[in-house]
This record gives sequence, structure tokens and C-alpha cells, in this order.
Amino acid sequence: MEELNSCFFNPAILDSLSEDSLHEIIGSYNGFCDATQSLLTGSGDLSVGPDFVSHVHTLCKHRLHSLVQDHFLRVLEETFERNGASRFWRHFDPYSHVAGLNKNDDLDIDEDEIQSVLYNALEEVTLEKQYQEKCLLMLVHGLQSFQDQMLEDKHDFEGERSYLTSKYQWIVSSVLMATLPRHFPVILHWYFKRKLEELSTIMDEEFCDGASQNKDGMDLDEKGKVCNKVGEMDVDECYNDHRFSENSRLVKNIGKVVLDLRNLGFTSMAEDAYASAIFLLLKAKVNDVAGDDYRSSVLQSIKSWIQAVPLQFLHALLVYLGDVVSYESTSSGLKSPLAPQPSSCCPGINTPSEGLVRWKLRLEYFAYETLQDLRIAKLFEIIVDYPESSPAIEDLKLCLEYTGQHSKLVESFISALRYRLLTAGASTNDILHQYVSTIKALRTIDPAGVFLEAVGEPIRDYLRGRRDTIKCIVTMLTDGTGGNSSSSANTGDSLLEELNRDEEIQENAGVDDDFNSDDRQAWINAMRRWQPDPVEADPLKGSRNQRKVDILGMIVGIIGSKDQLVHEYRTMLAEKLLNKSDYDIDSEIRTLELLKIHFGESSLQKCEIMLNDLIGSKRTNSNIKATINQLPQTSVEVGDSAISMDVISATIISSNFWPPIQDEPLNLPEPVDNLLSDYAKRFSEIKTPRKLQWKKSLGTIKLEVQFQDREMQFTVAPVHASIIMKFQEQPSWTAKNLAAAIGIPADSLNRRINFWISKGIITESQGEDSSDHVYTIVENMAETSKNGASAGTQDLLGGDEEEDRSVASVENQLLKEMTVYEKFIMGMLTNFGSMALDRIHNTLKMFCIADPPYDKSLQQLQSFLSGLVSEEKLELRDGMYFLKK
Amino acid sequence: MEVRSNPAAGNSFDHRRPPAVSSKQQLPSPHSVDTSAVSQRLQKELMALMMSGGDLGVSAFPDGESIFTWIGTVEGGKGTLYEGLSYKLSLRFPLDYPFKPPQVKFETMCFHPNVDQFGNICLDILQDKWSSAYDCRTILLSIQSLLEEPNLESPLNSYAAALWNDKEDYRRMVHKQYFSGEALES
Repeated sequence: MEELNSCFFNPAILDSLSEDSLHEIIGSYNGFCDATQSLLTGSGDLSVGPDFVSHVHTLCKHRLHSLVQDHFLRVLEETFERNGASRFWRHFDPYSHVAGLNKNDDLDIDEDEIQSVLYNALEEVTLEKQYQEKCLLMLVHGLQSFQDQMLEDKHDFEGERSYLTSKYQWIVSSVLMATLPRHFPVILHWYFKRKLEELSTIMDEEFCDGASQNKDGMDLDEKGKVCNKVGEMDVDECYNDHRFSENSRLVKNIGKVVLDLRNLGFTSMAEDAYASAIFLLLKAKVNDVAGDDYRSSVLQSIKSWIQAVPLQFLHALLVYLGDVVSYESTSSGLKSPLAPQPSSCCPGINTPSEGLVRWKLRLEYFAYETLQDLRIAKLFEIIVDYPESSPAIEDLKLCLEYTGQHSKLVESFISALRYRLLTAGASTNDILHQYVSTIKALRTIDPAGVFLEAVGEPIRDYLRGRRDTIKCIVTMLTDGTGGNSSSSANTGDSLLEELNRDEEIQENAGVDDDFNSDDRQAWINAMRRWQPDPVEADPLKGSRNQRKVDILGMIVGIIGSKDQLVHEYRTMLAEKLLNKSDYDIDSEIRTLELLKIHFGESSLQKCEIMLNDLIGSKRTNSNIKATINQLPQTSVEVGDSAISMDVISATIISSNFWPPIQDEPLNLPEPVDNLLSDYAKRFSEIKTPRKLQWKKSLGTIKLEVQFQDREMQFTVAPVHASIIMKFQEQPSWTAKNLAAAIGIPADSLNRRINFWISKGIITESQGEDSSDHVYTIVENMAETSKNGASAGTQDLLGGDEEEDRSVASVENQLLKEMTVYEKFIMGMLTNFGSMALDRIHNTLKMFCIADPPYDKSLQQLQSFLSGLVSEEKLELRDGMYFLKK
Repeated sequence: MEVRSNPAAGNSFDHRRPPAVSSKQQLPSPHSVDTSAVSQRLQKELMALMMSGGDLGVSAFPDGESIFTWIGTVEGGKGTLYEGLSYKLSLRFPLDYPFKPPQVKFETMCFHPNVDQFGNICLDILQDKWSSAYDCRTILLSIQSLLEEPNLESPLNSYAAALWNDKEDYRRMVHKQYFSGEALES
């Protein structure tokens, strides 16, 4: 048998055709065309069928198969384009304006209307398609019956049919795609979103019911049961809940739409639409659950929600679409390698199909990522209430392990820090507390401290620029034992517990003497291990990395050297010890011991001597008092101003080891002075050849002031006491006389006496001399009651002003050092004319051996020099420093 | 580096030394121990000079790594013929300082009866009148006052000595020499 096509291209064959057969062909072809036309355009009228079949037979007899098929398909296409597609799209014309809208926007149209429009349109186009398929089948039948007549040649009927139907499918979808209006995907997306929301509300109710049933059960239990329940519903056909029927109806509806769309060739579009709807829903859910509450872990509930709602839906949908063949067929050991840990599988759906597993993974990843983004964006707030927010941190840790997007965290957190914390408005204390919380929080997420290093860098840099950083750190270090000095420090923030914790570690690991370089080494190691994408917990491997992030080390790292910290600590310790009225130094000893473990014995030697001074003082004090008791008659001359030595206790310090002490001359009241010199005499008797030198302006005095109508108690500095005692002699003093009597400058007196004025005990008035003030004591409370002055027992330390500190502050000491350096720099520039930075540095190192010797870094020197430049003492030209002429 | 050592040792040095002086002319040989004692003394002098010197118009600082060679600066006193001029000097401390005076020379050209063209200075305390009680600061201050009160008895520069009474010409010569020297330097 010759090829059919050759008929058209071989004129010889045409010639061979007889006149009759030619007529027959033309006749039956015309008939075929007419029949086709009427078959397809005719509304369901199949009466032309037999006619059509006979024409097909005639044409086939002349081997015109392909002509028949081609023509039929072309007419089919034209008809579908005219009737099916255009009519289908016309349904959606009223909604063409939505094309430009964002997917998340609400469509401004009636929901039910668009839903029914979608249903109707799909219905109609499906009907049309079914009819056309019927026609196509008729053609196939015609062709087949012809083949049957010919017999000899067994034609592959099945092949023929599938060829034609697939061709037809192809035509349908290409026609629809070619005419696809832009708003259709939007409508689809909207539809699925709406339906899913509906579904999730139903599911949520069940989910909540399930959860509430197990309220008192454990979390894990709960989850298992919820899944169990959901699974049961799915398998158990007899489950006769109305809600279930509602949701299965819903799933059916959706499934029908999806099926219709698939039939029209919109498989991927439909999938896109419901996938994006699911993701949107999931995102909304995560946002909803996670919210702004960091006190509970949400990951687990999100996971079970995924299991309960979207996966359930997908499963039902896939079942409806027939994608999941049956449980049995896939069950035996064909588990996807991608399947997650078996615990998270629903017992009901005992073996999820591969498609479902893939969906699950996709959804979980998306949930992790969404939650992670949410948490990272709020990381700053989370860390602010750190100890409470640790569940959120745990969540974030899990998310990051899954997604591996640590760098996102670092970037976002650093910018949040810059914007919110490292500003002039934040107090150093707050910054430090936040830093400590950050360290603690990130330690959970990343035990190796790699990210912490990156995040901590800006904070450290910033803190280095603050002047009170060291002071705050030392306060935090030492103030854990219920100290009352720091304003906002709650004990949870104290670093003292870190010291304690550290002690335990040290006990195991042995004393870590030079922690500075060690830490640096650890950091360098950590940086070396940095990988652009540190997936999964690689840092967990290897014993070297088990090292805990050392909070103290990092805090000290801010300051740069432990010497500075120790120095500041010594100053604060001195201040504290000098203001003690008893010898109770237990907490100080403990703090010092802890510090010694961390910073080494030698650097804290001076502090230890200071504490020993206190202990020694206690002993000496009791010895001296013992001498009085033996010889009571010699104590103090009898008189009404006599004071027993019992009321006095001295702190005897070895001044070489204490920080510079600010002493100012002061005339104490006669009896006190006598008492002190008597005490000193006894001291030198006991401790020859040593002698006692009183620092009369230091210490505290407990005072009881008796007025005509009341009594008041104070704890004040000696100056204040001296002032008030002068009013015992005469009720009114001029400022000048009083200053001279006490032996302090007038301006200092004015400052100090404010304490008493504020208590309402002394009033100030203008004296005869305009430059002089008169202070008068208020004997009667009634006179001042209108001022609302406070009465009763007062226990206030008078000397809390900055300039009343008994120990020169570290800043002042530093300033003094810097003055020396400045003189040296001026001196060398006078002689050398101009010098470069490093030469100045080296020269200072070589020749400036003041106490303490020059120990600054090049950077510190540079900033100091630029300070001098801005004070116009120096000039900087081409890297050389000159004296400003 | 021998110049940096315990300052506490320096304290004892001051008390220990006077008996050695009284036993007279027992020249301390330049052992390393003494070198460090000397450098400690110089160190202290430097400290004192730095803390006080600037205001007086005299200054000096070790030149380079050694503390035995210094560069000094003396400004002409206010209201003198040398006002507004600043002279550089070099000071070389012997290893047995302070028992021997340092060698002091003008590095800037100085027109002065007691300074020769090479910058050598004729000043009694730098020669026979030297005492270990003097230090760098007193030397520089002496030189500063020498500028205004030359010793015309034993001039090194007799022309300057002769011109001393003619203040106008003298001032012109001082400036001429000073600025020619400065031009040479640069």
C-alpha cells in the first residue's frame, strides 16, 4: 500500500483516477464538510451521524485519511475558538480591571458572584469540550469501522484515538493560552485564597478543639493526638461530623475546579494559584501565631498547623484528583528519601505519597524561613527582654539550623543596633546590659561565637568611645551582692553571677592565666572556621569548639586591657571601703577572690592589701579600745564635751597601695580633734614606730541632732558634721566666719551647707555685707513646716556629689598622666621642630618614665594628639606634628 | 634598654653619692652600672625640665636613642636684643656626669661676644665653675641670661664685644647672623 500523502503530490496518480471516482471524492468531501459543519455547530444534534460516517468511509476508500483528520481538527479548532474560548473568557470580562492588582490586595468584587461565574464558565466550557470530544469520537468510530471493513490491515484503534484526543487537548489548551486574558490568573489566585481561608477556619476550629481536649497533656502528646485525630477523619469514611462533611464538600469543590482547569490545560497555572494561596495563608498564620510574643515557642504549633491544615487539604485534593493511587500501593518501604524524621509523620496518613512529602518539606521550609525573618526583624526587642524571650531564641536557632541564613541575622541585627542602641541617647549601662544579653542569647544560637563576634564588634567599638564604660563594667562586676548604688541594675544583669559561673568552669579547666591572648586565639580560630554558608551545626563538632563563649572575656575585651579594669576597680573599692563605718567586708573579699581567679593574683595585689588594711584596722581598733578599758580614768578629761572613745573606729590604710586620696584640710570640733589625737597617741604606743596621720575629711559620721521640738539622725561626711556642730556654739554664722572656723574655702562651704539647707535645718539669708551670707539654724520645726521640709529620721550619705569623692577618680588620674605626656610632646617638638606619629610614640616610650610609665597604644596617642591639634596647641601637616606658633 | 630602670634606685642614688664626692676625684670609671645611674639622673632631669621648662623659654630633649646627647632650645629673653629668636644647642653629657659638665655648643649661628664662630661657648659654669648641683635646666637658663649679659672681659668674638655698646648695629648683626644661619640650614 502506498503512502497516503503521495496522492496529493503525484500527478500521475491523479491522472489514474477515473472521472467517476473523482466525482465521488468531490461529492463525498463536500458532504463530509457539510456534515462536519453541522455536527460541530449544531447544538447537540447528532442526527447527521450516519451520513457523516458514510462520507468518511468514502473518503477513506480513496485513502484520504489525513485529509479527513486535518479538516476535522481544523474545524474543531475554529469552532472551539469561536464557541468555547471566547465565550469562556467573556464570563470574566467584567473583572478585567483586576489584572493590575497585587496578589495580596482584596478584589473589589462580589465574592459569591465571581465564584459562581467561575463555576459557570468552567461548566460551560467543559460541556462544550465534552460535546466536541463526542464528535471526535464519532470520527474515530467512522475511521475504525472503515478499518474493520478492510480487515486485512489491523489498524491500531487505540493509538489512533489517543493520537486524536491528545491532539485535541493540545488544540484546546493552546487556543485558551493564546487568548488568555491577564486577569484570569489573578481571579484564580483569589479564588483559591478565599477557599483556603474558608477551609482553614474550619480546620482551625477542629485543631483548637483537638488541642483543648489535650490541654493538660504534654506538648508532644498533644501534637501526636491532633495528628491522630486528623488522620482518623481522613481514613474513616463513617466519620459523620457535619464539619467534616462541610470541609470535604469544600475540598470537593476545589478539587472540581482544579480538575476542570487541568482538563483545559491549566495544570501548572492552577497549581501555582493554589500553591501561592497556601503560602500566603501559611505566612499569615506564622505572623499571627508568632506575633510580638516571645515568651513561648511557636515553632511546634506552626508545624502541627501545617500538618493539620494545608497538608490535610493537599492530601484531600490529591486524593480527589487521583494522584495518590492508594495507600497500599505506595506503602511498602517506598518512602521518599526526602522524608523527614518519622516522628513528624501523621499516623493516620501512614505513608504520605512522595508529592505530599515534597509539599510538606516545601511548606516547612517556608514556615521556617518566614518565622526566621520575623524573628530576625525583631531580634533587638527579643534580646531586650532576653531571659523571658528565650523560647523565641530557641525557635530562631532551629529555623537557622534549617535555613542556614545566619548572615541575614548578623546584617539585620547590626543595623538595628546601630539605629537603636548605639546612639548618644542610650546610657552606657543599658548598652552594656544589652551587650550581655546579646552574648547570652547568641550563645544559644551559635555556641562557637562566630556570629557573636561579628555582631559584638560594633558594640565594642562604640563602647570604647564612651568614657564611663569602664566604670559601668566594674559596677556590673562587683555589684551583684545586693548593692544599692547602681540605679537600674537588677540582679539578673549582674556580671557577678558570671564570675561565679566562671569559677566553676575554671575549677574544671585549671586556671586560665593569660586569658586575653587565649581569647584572641579562640576568635581567630572561629574566624578561620567561618564559611560563607555554615549549614547545619558544623561548629558543634570538635572538642575545641565546645568552649563556651566567655562573657567576661568579651566584656574585658571592650576595655582592651585588664589593667585598666583593675585600676578602676581599685578606685571604686577604695571609695567603698572608705565609706564603710563597720569593718564588714565579706562581700568585697568574695568579689576580690572571684576577680583574682579571673585576672590573676598579681594584678589585684594592691586591692588585697587594701582589704587587709581593713582587717588590720579592725584588730588595731579593738586593741586600742582595750587599752581604754584597762585604764578608764585616763581616757578623756572629764567635762561635758567629753566623748567616749568607743564611738570612734579608724580605718588605717597603707597609703602607698591605695589610689591617690583627696584630702582637704578641715578643722574638726575640739572634742573630736582631741579624741583623734588621743587615738593616734595610743596607736603609736601599740605600733611603734608607726604613727597615725588622720585624713580628717574622710569617713562617715553618725549624727544625732537635737532640737527644741524634735530629734533627727544623719549619716554624713565629716565636713557636714563640722558645719552643723558649729551651730552648737552660736545659732547664726556668716559664711566667711564659718568657713574660717572650719578651715575650708568659702565656696566649698557654700556647696556643703546646701545639704543642711535642703534638710530644712539651716536657712540662708542675705547678710549686711552684700557679698556675705548669713546661715541660721532652725530650732523650731513649726517655723519651717510651710517649706514642707522633711522631718524624722534621715539616713542619707551627704557626700554623694561628684567632687566629694574621697578618692581621685580614674578620669582625673588619667588626665594627670596625659598632662605629663603633653608636656613631653611639647618639649620634644620645641627641640625637634616636627615629628611623625611613630617617632613621638617611640620617644615617649623611651624617655617618658613617669609613674605610671607611658603605656598607651599608637592609636591612643594619635587620638590624644588630635585632641591637642583641635585645642590649637599642635598642627598636623603631611603626617608631621608641629607646634602651633 | 638601660635608660629604663627602677626609679626607686634613683632615689637611693642621690643619697648615696655625696660621700663619694667628698672623697674627691675618685673618678668613677664608666662601668655599665654607673652608666645606668647617670642615665637615671638624666631621666629625672628630663622629667623636671619637661614639667617646668616650657614657660621659661628653655627646653631640651634627648636626640635619637641615646640619653647622653640632647638638643636644646633657648629663646631670647623678652626685652633683650635676642627677643623673638630661638637658638638650637647641642648638649653632650659625659659618662661621669654630673661630676663633669656637659659639652654645650650653639648649633644656630649666634652673634655674641662669648660665642665663637663654631658655636663654642665661654661660660664659667660649663668649665671650672661646674658643680654637680647644676642640671640641664640651670645650664640652659644660664645660657639664656648670658645672651643678655655677656662677659666682655674674655670675649671669643671680639668684634661682637666691641659692637656691644652700639645696640642698633649689634641687633642688626645678631639678626643677620641668625637668619643667614637659618638660610644655610634650609
